[in-house]
Amino acid sequence: MSKLKVKVLKKEANELKIEVEGAGHGLCNLLQKKLLEDERVDLAGYDVPHPLASSPVIYVRMKGAAKPEDALIKAAEKAREMNTAFSKELKKALKA
Amino acid sequence: MKIEVLEKDETNLRLSIKEADVPLMNALRRIALAEVPSMAIDEVVMIENSSILQDEMIAHRLGLTPLKTDLDGYNLPEECKCQSEFGCSLCRVTLTMDADSTEGTRTVYSGELVSENPQIIPVSDKVPLLKLAKGQKLKLEAYARLGKGKNHAKWQPVSVCAYKYFPKIELLSEQCKDCAKCVDICPKKVLAMKENKVEVRDLLACNLCMDCVDACPQKPSAIKVEWEKDAFIMNIESSGALPPERIIQEATKILDKQLKEFEEQLKVGVK
Ligand SMILES: [Zn+2]
Repeated sequence: MSKLKVKVLKKEANELKIEVEGAGHGLCNLLQKKLLEDERVDLAGYDVPHPLASSPVIYVRMKGAAKPEDALIKAAEKAREMNTAFSKELKKALKA
Repeated sequence: MKIEVLEKDETNLRLSIKEADVPLMNALRRIALAEVPSMAIDEVVMIENSSILQDEMIAHRLGLTPLKTDLDGYNLPEECKCQSEFGCSLCRVTLTMDADSTEGTRTVYSGELVSENPQIIPVSDKVPLLKLAKGQKLKLEAYARLGKGKNHAKWQPVSVCAYKYFPKIELLSEQCKDCAKCVDICPKKVLAMKENKVEVRDLLACNLCMDCVDACPQKPSAIKVEWEKDAFIMNIESSGALPPERIIQEATKILDKQLKEFEEQLKVGVK
């Protein structure tokens, strides 16, 4: 339980569609916005086909030869950095 | 990023967050609502119930009674080593109640629940659960466990977790005739008259409704309301289960864990 599970639905040279079991709007929306900040990304989106009976699907399409999975990793890395900054600043603010 | 504590007490936390963005605020908000665990009664064994409420109704009311939570001392049942359907002392707390009415009708309150762990007790002992008439009895054993808000609202540690943009109000004094129409219409009393001049009294209370802009008879309006694109005010109101700062700290931990897992899965799963 609670572990995320990534399942590849479609994989081309510049496209990737994955299903992320255990994720919700919070994580997917964050990843999508971070993907769109990447200039190599042509299109990024996500969908929750059914709020209870299914897992969200993330889709990425790249402009050039860059790999979509690399863009996803970069997006997740970026989101993590921001979250870490938040948690550090919060700790500081709570101590003050 | 810059964070400042605006208000803080036992159940409330108000933060000003600068140099952040909407997706991060939203992810943390959603996680605080749906994924930070808290303790709630999940199963009830009725031993005797001669009240007019059905067993299910009482169980439901018990479930929705907020309990003080100890996140470090207890495991989520699905993550507990015991993997038992009945749970063990690390993933379950037993509460009992033995109430009756000997004279007249009386209200039974949450304070009458007796917990095996004095740390895991109702947040308030004044939650009315049901009424018993003379001679009626209620005897039960209830099992509380950690759970997540996404499975049932009774496991939500927060009653409110919301953010809004940081407001920016500009008063154009040359155009302003100090008619005070904007002061009167503001539902949050953000503006005030001081020595016959309009001034901003409480900027952070502004909810960006723009009523003041519309109310101004000047064309164009003598008051300008905008918001900072990367600054937010976050409000966390705990149900009492956990301190509000703990809830938001847990939310950042959960988000970090999810992102880490996602990266790992991508590295092995997508080749
Ligand atoms: Zn256990």
